[in-house]
Amino acid sequence: MTFFIAIGIFAIAYAIIISEKIHRTVIALIGASLMIILGVISQEQAIEGVDFNTLGLLIGMMVIVDIAKHSGVFQYVAIWAAKAGKGSPMPIFILLGIITAVFSALLDNVTTVLLMTPVAFVIANNLKLNPKPYLFGTILLSNIGGAATLIGDPPNILIGSAAGLSFNDFIFNMAPASVLIAVATLLILFFWYRKEFVATDESKKAIMRFEPSEAITDKKLLIKSLIVIGLVLFGFFTHGFTHLEAATIALAGAALLLLLTFNEPDHHLQNAEWTTIFFFIGLFVLVVGLEQVGAIYFLAQKLFMITEGNLTMTTIFILWGSAFFSSVVDNIPFVATMIPLVKDIGTISGLALAPLWWALTLGADIGGNATIVGASANLVVSGMAEKEGHKIGFVEYMKVALPLTVVAMVISTIYIYWRYLV
Amino acid sequence: MIKKYIISEFMNTNTVTIRDSATFREAVDMMVENKTNGLIVVDNLQKVKGILSSWDIIQHIVPDYLEEDKHLAAFESGDVFIRRIKEVANTPVTEFMTSKVHKAHPEQSLMAAATILSEFHIRQLPVVDHNDVLIGYLNRTDIKKAIAEILSE
Repeated sequence: MTFFIAIGIFAIAYAIIISEKIHRTVIALIGASLMIILGVISQEQAIEGVDFNTLGLLIGMMVIVDIAKHSGVFQYVAIWAAKAGKGSPMPIFILLGIITAVFSALLDNVTTVLLMTPVAFVIANNLKLNPKPYLFGTILLSNIGGAATLIGDPPNILIGSAAGLSFNDFIFNMAPASVLIAVATLLILFFWYRKEFVATDESKKAIMRFEPSEAITDKKLLIKSLIVIGLVLFGFFTHGFTHLEAATIALAGAALLLLLTFNEPDHHLQNAEWTTIFFFIGLFVLVVGLEQVGAIYFLAQKLFMITEGNLTMTTIFILWGSAFFSSVVDNIPFVATMIPLVKDIGTISGLALAPLWWALTLGADIGGNATIVGASANLVVSGMAEKEGHKIGFVEYMKVALPLTVVAMVISTIYIYWRYLV
Repeated sequence: MIKKYIISEFMNTNTVTIRDSATFREAVDMMVENKTNGLIVVDNLQKVKGILSSWDIIQHIVPDYLEEDKHLAAFESGDVFIRRIKEVANTPVTEFMTSKVHKAHPEQSLMAAATILSEFHIRQLPVVDHNDVLIGYLNRTDIKKAIAEILSE
């Protein structure tokens, strides 16, 4: 009986999350509460299922970024890029794409697009160009860059924490794939839009008059932020020696930055995205319920039967399956469900799990590019664009993004096959 | 007559109001014409729907993406100011007025009014009767006058 209750709660919660009729956090928390109230799991089991390493890392990074972005450091880099592109639309497009990808590797994708979308508008307005190519570039490169590191996209944090994969593991295994896909995407976009990128001398001059330092509003804060971000990255890189978990490093960094800036913590702690954090908590508990009744194990067995326990088959299946699901479902709930499933496949088949984790990461992070609803970052950009009278149509976006996502997945398949399966 | 220092003694009764069906353009015209920074938005029954200040007008012409990121304002193209104003000229006032309005009744004490003004940092307090119909407004200057009166006693 609890088997069907658990599946029922999970399926309904998932369906409502996809439909977006009610806020996903509210639904996840209601589903989680029902799992306990209806006796599928106990509260102790629920709390054990919450991955506090993931939550700590998310909260720590949110606080650091919330403080650092007030210094203008990210805007400085973006404006500097526009000027470095000599005011020509094409080089600027490429440079902004690269910067989006790099920011996205260090920040989460939504934060990245919140920083880069306004830049896209300002640049396009100065160049008197349609902002859409810049907006599409921002969406695509934010999701691609996010795949490169442990902290680049929340699913990576989930996977890293559950599979014990470090910051360096991600850089070493995912960054090359992310770079290859970013280069291919920028090249294709370049050919796609090359005729649109024409600017007058006057608008080029407008860009050349930019003084990037005007973007910096607080120089002291800038230095303090860079020191702390540097220390946090150093902490991630040296995990192999120190064995300090990512959450410890991020939260310590957040505490240090609060100390250095003598800021009242109230404001910055409130600015952490608690709705996202509680969404994670709800999801963790939902998934524990499903695990508890054996539903995940059941799915893992089915998948094992389909792929006959063949590592190559299983890996490719997970890569493309994740990409497909992430283009329709938010990748966070999807990955939260897939993690125990991948672990169970490991138990059933005895396969090496590393290729499966990387396939899941690439599929989930980059699959979200395919549609305008595929990832939170996409929705943030399209929301801002609509307010400025540049509504991004579902089909309009997909015409550009779907082929690019397929190309990205083909590159991912070749990369994973060549690196882990031969 | 001994003053009780209640709102009705100090409020202004010739309020500048604008209908809730008006547009951005009409609101700006009315403000300029009446040399005021604040309009009270009312419906056809003179019930208060919102307050419109110059502040709301200014905020409305700033695009969301610049509000999101003030660091970039210095780099925005100069013609965006003109373009943006033309774009929003026909927006209904209901879309950018402050619709959560604190109101007071004429028989309330000035202390009650002062508390509302100071707590919410607002400049104007519409005064309504018991049918919620606008009968006047009280601003910071009116309270200052009352303070001066007491000090000079």
